Amino acid sequence: MGNISNRYAIVGVGESERSKNSGRSPLHLALDAARAAIADAGISAKEIDGFMSYHENDSCTSHQLATYLGVRPKYVKDITGGGSSTEMLIADAIGLIEAGMLNTVLIYRSMNGRSGVRMGGGGWDMNLLQNAIDGGSFIIPYGAGGPGQWFGLFATRHMHETGITKEHLGHVCVSFYEHAQRNPKAFFNGKPLTMEEYLNTPDLVYPFNKHDFCLESDEANAIIVTSAERAKDCKSRPVYIMGISGRQCHPHTHYWSDLSQVASDYVAPEVFKMAGVKPEDIQVASIYDCYSWVVLRQLEAYGFAPRGEVGDFVADGHLKMGGRLPSNTAGGMLSEGYTHGMNNVLEIVRQIRHEYQGTDRQVENCEIGICTGWAGPDMAGAMILKN
Amino acid sequence: MSYQRPIPLKNHDNHPYWDAADCHELSLQKCECCGEYAHPPGPSCAKCGSTELSWENLGSDIKGTVYSYVVSYRPFLPGFQDEIPHIIAIIELEKAPSVRIIGNILECRPEAVNIGMPVQMVWVDITEDRALPQWKAVL
Repeated sequence: MGNISNRYAIVGVGESERSKNSGRSPLHLALDAARAAIADAGISAKEIDGFMSYHENDSCTSHQLATYLGVRPKYVKDITGGGSSTEMLIADAIGLIEAGMLNTVLIYRSMNGRSGVRMGGGGWDMNLLQNAIDGGSFIIPYGAGGPGQWFGLFATRHMHETGITKEHLGHVCVSFYEHAQRNPKAFFNGKPLTMEEYLNTPDLVYPFNKHDFCLESDEANAIIVTSAERAKDCKSRPVYIMGISGRQCHPHTHYWSDLSQVASDYVAPEVFKMAGVKPEDIQVASIYDCYSWVVLRQLEAYGFAPRGEVGDFVADGHLKMGGRLPSNTAGGMLSEGYTHGMNNVLEIVRQIRHEYQGTDRQVENCEIGICTGWAGPDMAGAMILKN
Repeated sequence: MSYQRPIPLKNHDNHPYWDAADCHELSLQKCECCGEYAHPPGPSCAKCGSTELSWENLGSDIKGTVYSYVVSYRPFLPGFQDEIPHIIAIIELEKAPSVRIIGNILECRPEAVNIGMPVQMVWVDITEDRALPQWKAVL
């Protein structure tokens, strides 16, 4: 297999309505998102011969989605996953197209993340949870039942080692909430956040208060991937994939005892090498933001600021419009909506296409962007995109 | 009133750890091949993949230091609503620094906990035949 850099493209993006209580099934939401992405690409549904999704037992199947689009594809695939699964499925799609198995692949995430299965838990059977989570019986009996606590352990240690403060976490939140004010579809549109308000908000689980947590939403997103050659026949402006990479580093999915490394540390050099660019070449970013701290740790991992200076980087406004790295410009998962990262992919594709040209939402003249995924400290993915 | 919180589930891989805990002792899985401790225990060594595993009893005098912590002000799991806030910490063992064990620090105010704080393992009898390893600050 040859170098796939710049030979594949995202040609369609689409989403369903975003709400806290859709009153509809994930299949209905997925159909809306898929139809929007297909219209965006300007192709016929029947041109899609591969359908893929990731889920947490909370979605519809790719088989169902294809069925009700009237398509009989060659390939359907549903994986359990979350953050970084988008990048991994795009890599799968590229591999299958490169191998001549498929031509065009639709990848989606559909979930009633607020009204249906909530990531934050609630109502789980405790014994089931202990069995389902790797090392579960060593954390669940101690009340450590959610990612806020698991990631929080990383955050406390990292803050201790690098001098990152609560105020630095607040700068991530305030920056992204500011972006949400330019996005009428963001949940927190009309609800800006000041640093004073952030610092006065009580902690849910130290070091995090509610603003440090991502939202929950009922929503589906879809993207369409095809070869650069086929992309020329699409209606949309193609966004080319310069580099893509994924990696696991820690043993166990939820019991982490070495807080000195995260999988993003390993993904970063690989994705930059494949793309042939450096961190300073990146003009716009979508950084996985299930928690504010996760953004800070990734800024360090991907080399946007040296370890120990990441707090200053965000305090200086570099995540905002006009900063060195405008990030999560739709508001991100902290203030727009939450589909395990795919909404951040949609936004960066639209930025790189210059779809917001003429409005204050457009990052001026952005040509190259990075999108990162974080399933946890143990698993990450990233891709670098260009127009 | 009976114990309301989740009780550690014993399984084929981890039961020696919990059996020892029930006797107020710490037992750790160790890999005979690479010499590393394996915690949490599993069907083979997570570092080298070897199945040559044994168990080492470290006794009842277990000291460590706080490697990291969070303070939960909201119960994320049932049974914890009466213990708010509670501290969840990762403890680095003095005798085996490569092993870090997650647990609660008991009888400690959130303002008092800090990274590097010395702690001692204690066992809380949670049912007639089960005990849960926990931690208390060394004063």
